[in-house]
Amino acid sequence: MDTLLEVRGLKTHFATDRGLFRAVDGISFSVPRGRTIGLVGESGCGKSVTSLSVMGLVPSPPGKVEAEAVLFGNRDVLRLTADERRKLRGGKMSMIFQEPMTSLNPVHTVGQQIIEAILAHTAMTPRAARARAIEMLELVRIPSAAQRIDDFPHNMSGGMRQRVMIAMALSCEPALLIADEPTTALDVTIQAQILDLLSDLQRRLGMAILIITHDLGVIAEVADQVLVMYAGRIVESADVNDLFADPQHPYTIGLLGSIPRIDVDRKRLATIEGTVPSPNNQPAGCRFAPRCPFADQRCRLDPPPLRDISPGHQVACWKAPVEVAS
Amino acid sequence: MSDAANSAPVLQVDGLVKHFAVTRGLIRRKTIGLVRAVEDVSFEIARGETLALVGESGCGKSTTGRLILRLMDPTAGSVRFKGKEIADLDKDALRRMRRHMQIIFQDPYASLNPRMTVGEILAEPLRVHEIGDDASRAARGRELLEIVGLLPEHARRYPHQFSGGQRQRIGIARALAANPDLIVCDEPVSALDVSIQAQIVNLLQNLQQRFGLSYLFIAHDLAVVKHISDRVAVMYLGKLVEIADKKTLYDRPLHPYTQALLAAIPKPDPALRTKRVMLQGDVPSPFRPPTGCRFHTRCPHAQARCSAEEPLLREAAPGHRVACHFFETIPAPTILARAGLANGKFAARLAAFEAAKTARAPG
Repeated sequence: MDTLLEVRGLKTHFATDRGLFRAVDGISFSVPRGRTIGLVGESGCGKSVTSLSVMGLVPSPPGKVEAEAVLFGNRDVLRLTADERRKLRGGKMSMIFQEPMTSLNPVHTVGQQIIEAILAHTAMTPRAARARAIEMLELVRIPSAAQRIDDFPHNMSGGMRQRVMIAMALSCEPALLIADEPTTALDVTIQAQILDLLSDLQRRLGMAILIITHDLGVIAEVADQVLVMYAGRIVESADVNDLFADPQHPYTIGLLGSIPRIDVDRKRLATIEGTVPSPNNQPAGCRFAPRCPFADQRCRLDPPPLRDISPGHQVACWKAPVEVAS
Repeated sequence: MSDAANSAPVLQVDGLVKHFAVTRGLIRRKTIGLVRAVEDVSFEIARGETLALVGESGCGKSTTGRLILRLMDPTAGSVRFKGKEIADLDKDALRRMRRHMQIIFQDPYASLNPRMTVGEILAEPLRVHEIGDDASRAARGRELLEIVGLLPEHARRYPHQFSGGQRQRIGIARALAANPDLIVCDEPVSALDVSIQAQIVNLLQNLQQRFGLSYLFIAHDLAVVKHISDRVAVMYLGKLVEIADKKTLYDRPLHPYTQALLAAIPKPDPALRTKRVMLQGDVPSPFRPPTGCRFHTRCPHAQARCSAEEPLLREAAPGHRVACHFFETIPAPTILARAGLANGKFAARLAAFEAAKTARAPG
């Protein structure tokens, strides 16, 4: 498959008063053209920092982004000049965030903000840019787009604002859209609309999506391939069907067991004991070992590498596969 | 459940209404309209029962919870706690009664005083209600910490030294301090990560069994609700649209809004990925709710009558009430469900995970 983004050995660390925070600690993955990759994990696992590192939005200092390579197309984005990066961001590589309230500027109309993005990345005239902005608002199914373009963000609902963010992100036809918790702040009926819109736009425009979320339900709905992150590392990577039917990493197993589901009747939820380790005080071996019911001495001392367990399915666990009587 | 059904309800809510006045003008304030946050809501909660109140932002579920605790005064309607009308109580009597009804909040970061130690936080409700002396309150605090799965020595620490899940445990311990009968849980797990959420949900279930608590569980997440509740009430724009026992509501939802809510939840199973029927548009403003049935602007089954006439909450079966003119004739939705996790590699691995955990648990 044609690879659009390839991340090799990404490390993002933050120097703080309480020591070095290893938010992302050596992860590698790739995003094929036109596909949807899901990056899932709980608070503090490094999933958002991963996306910000790829976008070049990690403030430095205190942040430090290192990698063998972050190849987008055939260019290493970590070696671009500030100017070249700005061109790329919002152009071929675009991002939407969780908070559609705070990511729009409250003193400008939504139209001005979309037009600004178009003018920054294309040679369009302002008039053409406005026409393009209206076209984008129609594309994200905002009713009477030609009028709503002159609305301020506060005149819009949360769902509408997220549609505006998507319109802006897609206005320069990106090859990659990074969506960081795009539906987390929305009500469930609105979430369903936005997820449906993203899938539909992907079919029509052919961009790749890197979706970052804590919600395994969202992952199951939209992702083709899933990366599970824990404490700054990728612990499992698999095709979406494989991940849900045949999870290999104890963390993934526990996480899937702890979701309340409406489609399955269960008396008790599984739980993962304890809490996520602090990023400035990570365990020496496998980072999940202190919470893992299968962990032994080796797990506590040696960090397990991400290895192939079956074609297309990788896991970072010494104990995998957990043998089960069937 | 069976003996709970026989005894008198802990809480009876009847025709509860809350309107907020919207005013304009600085010097001469004029009321220009009303936000009808809660409109004619009635339900009961039996001893030891969990009633879930669900709906999306702005449906009035949290306002209902606050009205029940009389943290705000209702515009109309009655709330009876163990048979006693709370609107009639004076300030002192209300305070005495609050000992028996407590609340757990959504935000474990904002609901604990950062300047008090955990021990002080837990002793405060006892001090307010003049229960025991300093020594016995401190002892009770340490006991409560153990009950919610923390350590007695945590009493000396401050809230910022705890994680979100641990803080929610402290909030639960505080609610339990004065031995309440009813706890209003206002989105108690929405701010937590899933693995922590599961710990708290299990804890709430254990405590209910141990102390015979009744819960009003306010939430937007129908999956969590399915797990914890006995009965479910669904609200839309201030109105109760459907109420039923859990099994009925999830297996045979009759109101089109309930059906849409259930369909919209992303199922954590890619094999169930389907093209869903989706609700169009946003929730209308409660400042100017639609005429007739408030849901008619988004309802896929709406007819002329729906915009003209407000539907009554009618009985569809014993204990199952629905506010829809046409629930008898609306086609039943296809409920996507699996027999369970009984088969497959995931179920076997999860069983191994749980077994290994039990084997390691001390004692």
